Amino acid sequence: MADRVADSGFRCGALIALLALLAAVLTVVAAHPYLPGPPWTAGTWRWLLEGGGDVRRLILTDSLLPRLCAGLLCGGALGLAGVLFQQALRNPLAEPSTLGVAGGAQLALMATATLLPGFGGNLGTLGHGLVALGGGVGAAALVVGLAWRAALAPAVVILAGLAVGLTCSALASGLMLFNGAGFQALFLWASGSLSQNGWAIPQALAPQLAAGAVLALLLARPLALLDLGTEGAAGLGVPVRALRLATLALAVALSAAVVSAAGVIGFVGLAAPAMVRLAGARSLLARLTWAPPLGAALLWLADATTQVASQIAGSGARELPTGTLTALLGAPLLLWLLTRSGGGDGGPPVPAEPPARRLARSGPWLLAGLLALLLAAWLALAVGQGVGGWRWSGWADLQPLLYWRAPRMAAAMAAGAMLGAAGVLLQRLTGNPLAGPEVLGIGTGAAFGVILLYLAVPAFPVEAQVAAAGAGALATLCAVLLLGRRQGHAPERLLLTGVALTTVFGAVVALLLSSGDPRAFTLFRWLTGSTYLATPAIAIAAWTAALPLLAVPLLCARWLEILPLGEEAARGLGLRLPLVRGIVLLLVAALTTAATLVVGPLSFVGLMAPHAARLCGLQRAVPQLAGAALAGALVMVLADWLGRVLLFPAQMPAGLLATLLGAPYLLWLLRR
Amino acid sequence: MSTSFFDLDNVGAVVPGRTLLHPLTLTLAPGRVIGLIGHNGSGKSTLLKLMARQLAPSTGTIRFEGRPLAVWESRAFARRLAYLPQQTPAAPGLLGRELVALGRYPWHGPFGRFGAADRQAVEDAMAQTGVADFAGRPVDALSGGERQRVWLAMMVAQQPGALLLDEPTSALDIAHQVEMLSLIRRLGRDHGLGVIIVLHDVNMAAAFCDELLALHGGRLIARGAPDDIMTPAMLERIYGLPFGVLPHPVSGRPIGYV
Repeated sequence: MADRVADSGFRCGALIALLALLAAVLTVVAAHPYLPGPPWTAGTWRWLLEGGGDVRRLILTDSLLPRLCAGLLCGGALGLAGVLFQQALRNPLAEPSTLGVAGGAQLALMATATLLPGFGGNLGTLGHGLVALGGGVGAAALVVGLAWRAALAPAVVILAGLAVGLTCSALASGLMLFNGAGFQALFLWASGSLSQNGWAIPQALAPQLAAGAVLALLLARPLALLDLGTEGAAGLGVPVRALRLATLALAVALSAAVVSAAGVIGFVGLAAPAMVRLAGARSLLARLTWAPPLGAALLWLADATTQVASQIAGSGARELPTGTLTALLGAPLLLWLLTRSGGGDGGPPVPAEPPARRLARSGPWLLAGLLALLLAAWLALAVGQGVGGWRWSGWADLQPLLYWRAPRMAAAMAAGAMLGAAGVLLQRLTGNPLAGPEVLGIGTGAAFGVILLYLAVPAFPVEAQVAAAGAGALATLCAVLLLGRRQGHAPERLLLTGVALTTVFGAVVALLLSSGDPRAFTLFRWLTGSTYLATPAIAIAAWTAALPLLAVPLLCARWLEILPLGEEAARGLGLRLPLVRGIVLLLVAALTTAATLVVGPLSFVGLMAPHAARLCGLQRAVPQLAGAALAGALVMVLADWLGRVLLFPAQMPAGLLATLLGAPYLLWLLRR
Repeated sequence: MSTSFFDLDNVGAVVPGRTLLHPLTLTLAPGRVIGLIGHNGSGKSTLLKLMARQLAPSTGTIRFEGRPLAVWESRAFARRLAYLPQQTPAAPGLLGRELVALGRYPWHGPFGRFGAADRQAVEDAMAQTGVADFAGRPVDALSGGERQRVWLAMMVAQQPGALLLDEPTSALDIAHQVEMLSLIRRLGRDHGLGVIIVLHDVNMAAAFCDELLALHGGRLIARGAPDDIMTPAMLERIYGLPFGVLPHPVSGRPIGYV
C-alpha cells in the first residue's frame, strides 16, 4: 500500500511540476521586454531591488511580479476551497459557485452599477472587490439559512445553493440585457482578471490563504470522518452540523477573498481537486496537500498564457480574461486525465437525495398539473398587453393574434416538457441531484455551433442557426459517448466529462461576449433562452420531436427504477449496464438537443423540474417523468408569456424568467 | 438442471499493485449451502463477486451450470442467479413491495407485462421471507435488518437457482442472524437452490453451511465439512489467532472460541 501512496504523490508532483514549468517559460516570454539582458550579475539584483524609477523595473516589480503572486495565491485558495466544498458536501461536482458565491458576487456588482451608476464608475478594483464580497457572502448565508433546518444535509445545501445561485445569475443577466454594452467591462471583470498595479492584493491575500490553510488542517481530521456519512461521523463524536458550517464558512471565505481580489475565476475550484483525485490522491490529507499547488500552477499557466497572447496580439488588443483561459487550458487536461486513469474512484459517494413525502396516488395530481398547464396555455394565448394596456382577447379577437402567439407558446411548452424529462433520465442515471441536461455539455455544444456560424457568415436565416445548433449538439454528444465508452459510461466520469466540455464551450462563448462584437448581444439573447425565434414551422417541428421522445422514456421506466439502486444491484438483476446507460444517454441527448434548438441552451428547467416533481411526492419513475415534463412545460409557458407581457413592448428571454419563477418555488418546496 | 454448479478454472483477480485472489481451480456441487470464511481482506468477497459476474476475472474462466459466465445473456443469468451486495442501497422513494417487484425484471424484461405469475412470485417471496408487514412502507424508513430482509425477498422473487449472498447478516442481532440463516437454509432446501454465502462469524457458518471454503491472503487454504474445518489448528491457520474448540453442550457440534 505504501508504494501506492508514494506513487500518487509522485504523479501529482509531476503534474504540478509540468504545469509550473510551462507557466515559468511563458512568464519569462511575457516578461522578457522588461527583463535586463544577461549576463546577470550582482548589479542586476541591485537594479531590481533599488533601481529607482526605471519604468522597466517598475513594471517588473509593481505589475508582473505581484500579478504572478496574486495568481499563485488565488489558484491555491481556489484549490483549497474546492477540496473543502467537495468534502463537506460529499459531491465531486461541488465547487465555489455551488453555494451561489459567484452568482451573488455577480449580481451585487451588476446591481451596484445599475442603481448607483456614478458610484460604480468610481469604485476601482478594491471597491468592486468589496461589493462582490458582500454579494457572495450574502448568497452563501442565504443558502446556509435555508438548509439550516435540514441540519445542513449535503443534498439540501446543494439544491438550495443551485437555486440561489441560478436566481442571482438570472437577475444579473437580466440587468445586463437591459443595460447593454455598458456592462462589458464588468462582464470582463466577472470572468476573472489578475491585472495588478502594486502589492496591495497579494499582500492582503497571503495572510488570508495562510490562515485558511491552517484552519483547513485543523479541520482535516474530523472532515475526513465525513466520508463515513453523517451518522458514522456523528457516532465518532463529530458535531456534524457545526463541522459542515465551519467548513463551508471557511471555503466561502476563501472563494470570496479570491472573488474580491480577481473576480470570478471559475473551474479551478472544481478541476484542481478532481485532477489530484484522478492522479491518485485519495485521502483527504493528500487532496488538501496537492490540490492547492495544482490550482496555483493551473492558474499561473492560464495567466501567463493570457499575457503572452495579448503581447502577440499587440498593444491595442483587449486582454483575454484569465478565468476564461483557465477553463480553456484546464478542461482538456481534465478530459485527458479522465480517459487515462482506468478504474479509479470518481470521488466521494454522492449522498442520497433529501427525503420527501410520497403520494399514495399520483393520478389526480398529474391531472391537476395537466389542467394547470392548459390554463396557462390559454392565458398565454389570450392575455396580452397592447398599445391600449392589458387586454383579454375572446375567440374572435384571438384569430389574427394566434399566428404570433401560438407558435412560441407551443414551442416553449414542448421544450420545457422535453427538458424536464431529460432531467429525470439523467438524475436517475447518475444518481446525482446536481445532474441536469446541461452538464452533458449538449446545450453549450449547440451554442458553440451557433457561435461558429456567427463568426463564419455575417447573415443567415433562422434555419441555418437551427442546423448549426443541431450539428454542435451532435458533435458534443459523440465526444461524450466516445470519452465515456471505456468506463462503460460510469456516472461520475460522465458528469465530469460533461462539465469539462461545458466549460470549454462556455469559455469560448464568454470570450465572444466580452469581445465587444456587436453580434454578441443578439447571441446573448439566444443563450439566455429566448422563444422569439419560434415560427409555426419550428413549433410543429418541436412537437413532432417531442411526442415520440417523451413517449420512449416511458418504455425505459423499469431501467429507471433499477438504476438508482446502484451498479451491483442493477447488474444482479440482469441489466446490461453499458448498453442501458448508452441508450438512456442517447435519449437525454436527443431530448436536450431538440429543446435547445427551439429555446436555446437553458440550464434551469431540466435541473429543477425533476426535483420539483419528486418533492411534490411523485417518486416512482413514470409519475416523476410525467410530473417533471408537466412542470417543465408549465414553467416555460408561463415564462414565455411573462417575458412577452411584463415589460411590453420590450421582451424578456423566457429562460431568465423560467429561472426566476422556478428557483423560488423549489426553495419553497425545500423549506417545507 | 445440469449437475455442475460452479467450475472455476485458474481464476484470479488482480488490481494494480495487489493480488486480490491467486489463481484458483475449484468445482462446487449444486444444491448445497456453501460458506466462504476467512479474515478481512482474504478475498472471500472478491471470489463471490467473480462468481456473481460483478467483477471480471483477470485470469481464468468461470463456468456456471456448465456455461462460461461470459456467454450468459444478462437477464438469463439473473434468472438463474441472484446476488445480494454487501451494502444494500437505501432505495429512496420505493415501497417494500415495489422493491421486491423489481426482482421480477429478469423475467419480464423492460417491456414485458407484469402478469399474474409475477404478482404471485412477489407475494410468495414476501410471505416466505416474512416481510409482508413492510410491503407498504418506504424502504429508506426501514431498519438495517428489515431492509436486508426486503432485499432477500427481492432475490427470492427472482426465482433463481442460486443465491450468492455477501454478509447478509452484518446488520442483524443474534436472534435475527439465526432467523435469517435458517430462512436462507430453508429456502435452499425447499427450492433446491445452491447457496454461496460470505460470513464472518465462523460459528454461524459452521452451524448453517454444508461445506466451508476458507480463504487466507487470497488463497483457498482449506475446504471441507464444518466438522473438518472446526479444529483448533485449522482455525488458527485461517484467522492467525490461537483458537479452542468445544463441543456444543446440547447438539455436540464444534464451537470455536478465542
